[in-house]
Parts: sequence; C-alpha cells; structure tokens
Amino acid sequence: MAAKFETDFGQVLPPPRSQQGVTGWVRANLLSTWYNGVLTVMSAAVLGAALWVGVRWLIFDSDWTVIGTLGGQLVIGQYNIESACPGQNCFWRPQVSLLLVTALLGMAWRVAGGGLTKRIAIGVAVAVSAFALLPYSMERMGMDVRLLLLANLLVLGVGWAIGRYTPLGTARWATVSAVGVFVVIVLLLRGVPGIPGLEPVSVIYWGGLMLNLLLAVAGITLSLPIGVALALGRRSRLPVVKVLCITFIEIFRGVPLITLLLMSQVLVPLAFPEDFPQNSLFRAAVVITLFSSAYMAENIRGGLQALDPGQAEAARALGLPGWQTMFLISLPQAIRNVIPAIVGQFISLFKDTSLVYIIGVLDVVEFGRAFIQGNTEYLASAKELYIFLALVFWVFTYGMSYVSRRIEQHLGVGER
Amino acid sequence: MATVLRSLTYRGIPVWRHVKVIQWAIQIVSGIAVVALVVWFFSNIGNAIQERDIPYGFGFLDREYQTPIGQHFLPYESSDTFLYAFVVAFTNTLIVSVVGVVLATGLGILIGVARMSSNWIVSKVSLAYIEFFRNVPLLVQLFFWFYIVLALPPVREGYVVADRLYVNNSGLTIPGVSASSLAAALAWLGLATIAVVAAVVTYRWLAGREIRTGAASYPLLVGCATAVVIGLIGWVAVGAVSGGAPFTPSIPEPEGAFGRISGGFTVAGGLVALLAGLVMYTAAFIAEIVRAGIQSVGRGQSEAARALGLSGMGVLRHVTFPQALRVIVPPLISQYLNLTKNSSLAGAIGYSDLTNIAKTMTQTAPAVSIFLLIMVIYLALSLTYSLIGNLYNRAIRF
Repeated sequence: MAAKFETDFGQVLPPPRSQQGVTGWVRANLLSTWYNGVLTVMSAAVLGAALWVGVRWLIFDSDWTVIGTLGGQLVIGQYNIESACPGQNCFWRPQVSLLLVTALLGMAWRVAGGGLTKRIAIGVAVAVSAFALLPYSMERMGMDVRLLLLANLLVLGVGWAIGRYTPLGTARWATVSAVGVFVVIVLLLRGVPGIPGLEPVSVIYWGGLMLNLLLAVAGITLSLPIGVALALGRRSRLPVVKVLCITFIEIFRGVPLITLLLMSQVLVPLAFPEDFPQNSLFRAAVVITLFSSAYMAENIRGGLQALDPGQAEAARALGLPGWQTMFLISLPQAIRNVIPAIVGQFISLFKDTSLVYIIGVLDVVEFGRAFIQGNTEYLASAKELYIFLALVFWVFTYGMSYVSRRIEQHLGVGER
Repeated sequence: MATVLRSLTYRGIPVWRHVKVIQWAIQIVSGIAVVALVVWFFSNIGNAIQERDIPYGFGFLDREYQTPIGQHFLPYESSDTFLYAFVVAFTNTLIVSVVGVVLATGLGILIGVARMSSNWIVSKVSLAYIEFFRNVPLLVQLFFWFYIVLALPPVREGYVVADRLYVNNSGLTIPGVSASSLAAALAWLGLATIAVVAAVVTYRWLAGREIRTGAASYPLLVGCATAVVIGLIGWVAVGAVSGGAPFTPSIPEPEGAFGRISGGFTVAGGLVALLAGLVMYTAAFIAEIVRAGIQSVGRGQSEAARALGLSGMGVLRHVTFPQALRVIVPPLISQYLNLTKNSSLAGAIGYSDLTNIAKTMTQTAPAVSIFLLIMVIYLALSLTYSLIGNLYNRAIRF
C-alpha cells in the first residue's frame, strides 16, 4: 500500500484539459464569467463589423494615388523645386544626408555590439534602399536617385567597418561623429556660399518629413541637457536661481506651443536690427526646444524627488563633492526612473514638429494639406493622405516607445 | 601682501573658494544677466516700435473689431469692440476646454477600465486604441476629422437620427433650450445654484450624522431630493411671476425649400471636428493615467476589504478608488491643461478660438499688445486649473 501512495504523490499530473491549450485559453480570457461571455460576443461582433467595413474600404473603395503623386516630396518638401535651387539638381543633398545617417547607424551597430541597434540599423538601411525599387518611370525617379538610395546598404557596411577597423569604434567617438554628422547635414542642406554645387537653399524651402526629423533630433538632443539644468535650478537652494528657473518653466508650460511659435515670428524679429539676418526656422527650432525642455525639467524633477535621500547622503558620507554626488549618483538614478516620461516627452516633441505650419514652412503634414487644397481633384483622397501620414508618424513614435521599453528592461528598472 | 591675503581668507579658505561667496556670485551674475537680457529684448522692441512706426498700446481695445467671428457662444456683431471680441474668443476656448475635459474624462476612464478587463478582446482593442491615438500628431487627427465632417452630405440630404439629431456638413444640430426672457432665465439659474448648494450642505450634514450615529440617513437620496424640490419650486415661482416657463425646449425641425434647420442648437463643423480630435487624443492619455492609478493600489488592499465583508462595488468605491485618485489627479490635471492648450490648434480647421482670433487681430491692431494679452490669459487659465486641481488634491489626501 505504502508504495502505491508514493507513486501517486510523486507523480506530477498535467492540469485538467479545460485549463490548457486553446480551450483553457478561451475559458480564461474570453468566457471566465457569464458577463465576460456576453462582452466577448458583443465586442467580437462590433470588431468584426468594423474590420469588415475597413477591409472592404481598403480593397475596393480606397484610392492611394495621392501618395504616389506626392512621392518623394513628402520626404523633402519643396527642397528640389526650381526656385529653391535654380539651375541645378539639389536632390542629392538630402540623399547624401541620409547616407551619412546610415553610416552612423552602421557605426552604432558595431559599437553597441549587435542586438537591438543591429536590427534597427539593418532595418532602416533595407527599408530605405527598398524605395529604389518603386515602380516610378525613369523620368520621374532617375537612375541617380535610385542608385543613391541603394548605396545605403553599402554605406551601412562602411560605417560598420569604420567602427570595426579604425580607432573610431568607441562610444565616445560615435557620439562625436553623431554631432559631426548633424552639423554636416545642416551645412549640406543649407549650402555654403561660394562653393559650386553647394549654393545656399533658403530654409523656407526646407520641408517634408526631413524637416520634422531635423527639428525633432535637434530638439531631443538639446532639451534633455537644458531640462536637467532647469530641474537642478528649480531644486537649488539659491533663491535667485530658483525663482528664475520656476518663472521660465511656468511661462513655457502655461502657454500653448502654437502661441509661442506665433510670438517668436512677430515679437523676436523686432528685438534685432532690421538688417540682421533673420531665420524663421531657427527661431522655431529654438522655441520648440525651450518648450520641450520646460516639460523635461518637470519630469526630471519628479525623478529627483522620488529618489531616496539616503543615496545622496551616502555619497556625501563617502566624501564625494556636491557636483559629483549629483552627476554620478543622483541624476543617473533619477533619469533611469523617469525614462518613460522622458521618452514620452521626446515623442510629444516629434509630434509637435507638425505645428511649424504656423510659421509658413511646409512640413510633411502641411505639405500634404496644402497639396490637397491646391489640387481639388484630390480632395476625395484627403482621408487616405491623413491615414498615411498618421501611419508614418506612428511608425516613428511607436519605435521610440519600443526602444525605451527595451532600454528599461536592459537597465533593470523596477527589478532592483 | 600678507595682510591683504589674510583679509581675503576665512578660516584658512581663500575668499574665491568659499561656498557662500561662490553661491552669491552665481546668483548675482545670473540675476544680472537675465535682467539685462530681458531689458535688452524689450527696450529693443520698444525702439523698433518707435523707429518703424509700429502701433502699440492698448487703445485699440475700444475700437470696433469689424471682423466676423465664425462660431460664437456669446452674442457678437462686427461692430463690437476688440475688448468684447477678446471676451467672445476666450469664451470659445473655455467652452471647448470644459466640454472637451468632461467628454475626454468619460471616454478615458472607460478605455482605461477596459484596458484592465480580463476579457482578451476588450483589453486588446483598448490597447490598440491607446497606442494609435496617442502616437499620432493631434494636427493630423484634426485634419482627418475635419475632412470627414466636410465629406458629410449637405443639409438637405443630411442624416437625421430619431427626428432629433441632424448630422450634415455644416455641423451637428441637437435639441437645446431657449430662454423665454433674460431676467427669468437668470432668476431661475440663480435659484438653481442655491438648490445645488443646499443639496451639498444637506448631503454633508446627513453623511456626517450617519458616520457619527450609525443610523441610516440616506444622504445621497435626501440631497438629490432637496435640489429637485427647490429647483421645481423656483421653476413654478419664476413662471408665475414672468408668465411662462423660464426655459422652453427647442427641437430642431427642417424648414423651407433648402431644408434649413430651425431651432435646436447647432455645433459648427469645425467645432465638431475639434472636439472629436481633442477628446479622442486626450482620452488615450487619460486611459493610461487611470490604469496606472488603479494598478498602483496594492492587491492586498482590495483583498483585505473583501475579507472584511465589503461587496465588489463597495471595495471599488470605498477602498480602491479613493486611493487610486491620489495617484490619478495630479497627471489628470496636467492632461486637462494640455487639452486646453491643444485647443489652440483650432485655427487649422476653422474654429475661432483665442489664438486664432488673436492671429487675425494682429492684422488690424498692435501685435505686441495682443500677444501680451493672450499670454496673460493663457497663463491665468493654466494657473486656475492648477489651483482647482491642487485644492481638490489636498481635499482627497488623507
């Protein structure tokens, strides 16, 4: 008898049939209670109907020719039109800028040692070079354009090789190169007077997705350090510094971005002499960056407040001076704890770049809207255009939040 | 030399390395720098105004605005002054803000709760909603909704729901109320306010008694009854004095050869698109806030409440929700503020909000003064919301 009991207890029986496999999943997730069952039936019906209508529209009624007609202009806006760069073809400048970015991604892939960076780098290069195979006629999209797009694959390898075989393959040099690449891209797009082939292109012709990305990258890179400075200023014990930072943060957070952009176009030029070189896009970039850093400051202040004061006290007890305590102990932990909020702010900054329509430049959204308004035969395609634009933005913003989640996992937030 | 050095040291520390000195030096330098920058900026603007003959000052506020305003909720004519046009514009922004906040809160809570549902389909659908709507620029969403409104059929062929709702490309017409006379309407609204205050006082008194004595006092029921009774008495009294009910229902009806709609309350197309965009965008953020708030209450709290014998609803009302509110309210207030500020995108789809009207005004009036005014108005609005939020937050803290 004893032996039989032993086998009975020792045996690990599988869970009952109703709790595993498809049946178990359906029971647990769709039919756990009677009202859950009703909810499942109702929501499935609504979802099914919505999908039915949506898919039917997608297959039979939707007309995406407006996207094809706009084509590359969605990416560069009016950059290549005749009045922007008279007598020459400027299309190669954004394309070379893209190649530089791809090379940088290749370098980052090598420096980060694979993983997510590798997948992003390869994904971007493949996606971009796939545009070379678009079924446009050769007059519409020349061989030079296609070859420059395909070159992204090659350049990715070059960037990787630079990281692998030259002493530039360290995180520090990669950061320096990133800043350098950004400066070179801005110079390339702006043009340098006196150099043949690099005639200046006025910023009012910059546009398309290129403009959104440039504004977003500049804003993201600068708003984090400015935000940290403002947050530290607001927590400072020095009353003058504190009051100045609070005033700045509250003014920029209290007024809508669009009002600030309008003011930057009307008020700021008055403060400079009439013959002073004015650059509306630069002013807009400054306003977007400052606006975003005010929000960033509040996020970082939240992170600093949530930090256990024991951390800073222990650092001081170990003999670290104040600034080392802040920059080596407190800030890294504070920033790590508010990564979702910071990335949320980055995403919101990227979305806000669509507001530059108010200063009269044609970013990707405004370019599409103006095109529809100017070509009424496409009026019925407006919904396709806006859905497409929504998806374009979504790919970038969702990508950013995905990367942030991966970074959080990597840093082990919430696990320690 | 030695005396100079000694006078410049404090307990052996050179003066320029002394913490207090450095701190004060930083403060004085930064203070002077900022003040100088601000003075430089505004004096340059002042000079430019004088040199280039740019109009300035606030004298324009008494002039006639002489520009039509699309949809307005206060009575407005082109012959009204700039000052009054500002009031009309501010009301337009305020109404979008208040209506948007109410609708977005409702939708946001619904989606946030659905996100936590144990039902897989419901949970995934709300996840998809949140991830899509908060990751797409509001401007794109507004353009999309505005296009949808414009693509609706014209008034004569518009959709009619139950003879009460009219949907067409000029907007949405819903049943409304019309006041028989201004005096009667104001008198009854005053009485209604008194009724609400009386109801709140009654509720608090009865709720307090219930907690003190344990005897059932039905605070909610009696409170509501107080409000209804006082409101009804007021209605009858005002009606008897002015000879007719203070408000009469106004049902929209098609009329005339072109099917124009008379009566009811028409929400213009731009406003419909603006509200749709703002509400759906903000609701996605509110949903995440609600979910985070409810999840922040430890599971042990609701388990303990169940163990003490509270019902499912009682756990939610007396244990989970009050604790979740403390986490929810601060970010919720900042979302309300965002919605209000985002309503400044209205200009892009043809609704006359504060920023849009101010932008139009700059063509006929001094831009500097107008921008100073709307900046002050927006800051005041922000601070008011923050104040209300902070007061509420203090009230629900333990």
